[in-house]
Amino acid sequence: MTGTAAHSSMPLVRMVDICKRFGENRVLRGISFDVHAGEVHALLGENGAGKSTLMKVLMGVHEADSGRIELDGRDIAGRSVRELLAQGIAMIFQELSLLPNLTVGQNLLLGREPRRAGWRIDARALRREAQALIDQHGFDLRADTPVRSLGFAQRQMVEVLKAVSRGARILIMDEPTSSLSLREETQLFAIIESLQARGIGIVYISHRMAEVFRVARRISIVKDGLLIGPMAAATTTPRELAQLMSKSTAGELAGRRAPSAAPRERAEPVLRVRGLRTARKLAGLDFEVGLGEVVGVAGLVGAGRSTLAKALFGLLPDAAGSVEVDGQALRAGDVPTAIAAGIGFVPEDRRQEGLMLGLSLVDNLALPGYANRRGAGIVSRGGAAALFARYRDLLHIACRRGTQPASELSGGNQQKIVFGKWLATAPRLLILDEPTNGVDVNAKAEMRAAIRAVAEQGVGVLLISSELDELTAAADRVLLMVDGRVSRALTEVGTESELRALLQADIAARRAGTETSAAEQRLEAA
Amino acid sequence: MSSTSSMGSTAVRGRVAIRSIGSIVRDHLTYIIFGVVTLFFAVAAPNFATFSTAEAILRVTALVSIMAVGMSFVIICAEIDLSVGSLASWSSMLVAMALDRGVPALAAPFVVLACGALVGLVNGLLVTKLRIPSFLVTLGMLSVLSGLALTVTDTMPVPIVSDGYSDALWNARLFGLPVPILWTAVIVVVGYYLLHLSVFGRRVFAVGGGVTAARFSGVKTDQVKVWAFVLSGMTASLAGMMLAARSTAGNPSLGKGLELDVIAAVIIGGTSLFGGQGSIIGSLVGAIFIGILGFGLLVMGLSTSIQEIIKGAIIILAVALNRR
Repeated sequence: MTGTAAHSSMPLVRMVDICKRFGENRVLRGISFDVHAGEVHALLGENGAGKSTLMKVLMGVHEADSGRIELDGRDIAGRSVRELLAQGIAMIFQELSLLPNLTVGQNLLLGREPRRAGWRIDARALRREAQALIDQHGFDLRADTPVRSLGFAQRQMVEVLKAVSRGARILIMDEPTSSLSLREETQLFAIIESLQARGIGIVYISHRMAEVFRVARRISIVKDGLLIGPMAAATTTPRELAQLMSKSTAGELAGRRAPSAAPRERAEPVLRVRGLRTARKLAGLDFEVGLGEVVGVAGLVGAGRSTLAKALFGLLPDAAGSVEVDGQALRAGDVPTAIAAGIGFVPEDRRQEGLMLGLSLVDNLALPGYANRRGAGIVSRGGAAALFARYRDLLHIACRRGTQPASELSGGNQQKIVFGKWLATAPRLLILDEPTNGVDVNAKAEMRAAIRAVAEQGVGVLLISSELDELTAAADRVLLMVDGRVSRALTEVGTESELRALLQADIAARRAGTETSAAEQRLEAA
Repeated sequence: MSSTSSMGSTAVRGRVAIRSIGSIVRDHLTYIIFGVVTLFFAVAAPNFATFSTAEAILRVTALVSIMAVGMSFVIICAEIDLSVGSLASWSSMLVAMALDRGVPALAAPFVVLACGALVGLVNGLLVTKLRIPSFLVTLGMLSVLSGLALTVTDTMPVPIVSDGYSDALWNARLFGLPVPILWTAVIVVVGYYLLHLSVFGRRVFAVGGGVTAARFSGVKTDQVKVWAFVLSGMTASLAGMMLAARSTAGNPSLGKGLELDVIAAVIIGGTSLFGGQGSIIGSLVGAIFIGILGFGLLVMGLSTSIQEIIKGAIIILAVALNRR
């Protein structure tokens, strides 16, 4: 209610009761969401909650199964991306859509360059028009600078300008600050303010509480396909939002943790990592994972968590440092040896890295078992089918039959196949990279229970997750990762908000370090 | 709520039933078309449904069948090998020249087979190490090998005088069957074992089904692809030597254009050009299908030019229906 009176009563865009399912996975379960002219409406939510699907429905990339979308009160459901773009709905992507080999001006006026007779592009007029456009919006850019030489924030400016100059009235910004420095963030917020003043509505997607409160007037949370809110930023607190975001399966699962589990981390480690580094992402990591211990890894996207997982599993030939499983040293870039040593790896990208979607469930499940066999050896069909039957029952995989292609299963069941194919190798250490990403609530709960069950059988687990409540629910210890190093190793897992606060503090400390003096940082490292 | 969900599940069950009938038809479409076309010729073409016709067709299609076995591995890996036709020509020249220079008839074929494997190895290494698309690598290899075959004798054929050689690979009969059919059977059995029964075969399907996921499951994907090209090279050089035995000469243009029939046979056999699906038996049926089509149209008195048109149209139709 607060503040709405200042704006026109009719929202610029309104989504009503949007439902969307992919296969058996109900991603959006009746979401209503609107944006007024000149307001910033923030959208929060964990990975896989449905934020990006909701925005793709708004953009016209996906068509909603049911529900209405209105722009200026007119129904626009079922329009194509191109039509919606013409109507003024545009998205600023995380990975920007500019052509780096062209100049700022050429990018801005791409496809509508001023012409001279005979289809020739009038370069001078182009520069003049583009510069006029830039100046009109008061941006600090030059039309003839190549985009290649611009920083990330400036590229974002070009992107915003391109959208606005094409008549965008609704801008969707997906994690716009994720790659920006502090100074660049301030620039971005100034731009957002000027866009608001021009009556442009902004959907602001972010994980970062502080900036959401800084820019947004209203805040909504997407949680497991449902919308919580909208709440007026003025009347809520970050604490309240954090609670809303995490109130979930975590509560019910907390009870399943072995309450008086003796501190096991000093028991013999199954995994010992010393000085693990790669050329670009990892800057020297040391840690251990004990038998039957779940070690969580928290950090932002780009902190090097997935690179760590791949390096341990032998997927990165250029990884340096020592990785030992049960005292046996592994070689970088040799996956079969890692499998033989007892490592299983559930990767982040289930559809690309985890499964061969066109192949049968049996084939998918059996494949890691062949990693250390001779090619000419004979395969037991019956054995593979029996293996599948065992893990189908154990993990309650919902499927019609084992010969079904993996693409037909829902996200949660697909993930169980990936999980099962490594369980079938009787691993000593399981690396799980975002194991509950993009699966629905129930599958999440089952997956988390399965993780605990595996650990109780004495398997070491390295659990990488962006969902902090998952770490607090399932992990015995947590490593915080910032910029390719372990910034903090917590022996006690506190509450989710404590974890969040610690992580943000470490990131801030790291940023402050890099911002103030890079030289000092280098000294410190040396 | 409960009524809608039960209605939904009935509808879903109905849809599943329709889909499974549809998928049975689709999975065996090749065989259905194969049956229909064969039946048509049996009725319409004079003297078609005889044992001697069947034998003649199998004999004619032996070469394509053998090469299709090797090609199946490559295509299931989601790659392609365009060099098989000119590799066959080159192998026919190579074996004829080897025999001409006095290499024993027992040793020469093995040397040529090793050369075929080497060509496959080069193809595979270029594709996997330099990351050049296999279409381009093998297109280049096609040109190089056909050029080589033409250059070594300045386009002259090289006659083969060893009867033993020609008998072993083409002319003789064993157990009442012509040897080309027996060679086909041997290659099909070996190919079937490798693709459908061995660990290597599972890896081939894994690479075609999703190369990243295969790598993340411990498959050395580059190695698997190289082996697929080696197998294709070896079957092509065997086919080339059989061609030489058939015409009792090495000839630089013997295998010209054969790669198209081979690829068509594999695709008609239900192997997906996108990889991850296919079978040796399917490829064999595809090769025989092409043979029957050619033979049937010939018996019906159509000229070879018309045959080509009809063959092309049916191949496109079969592939279109086989598409997923």
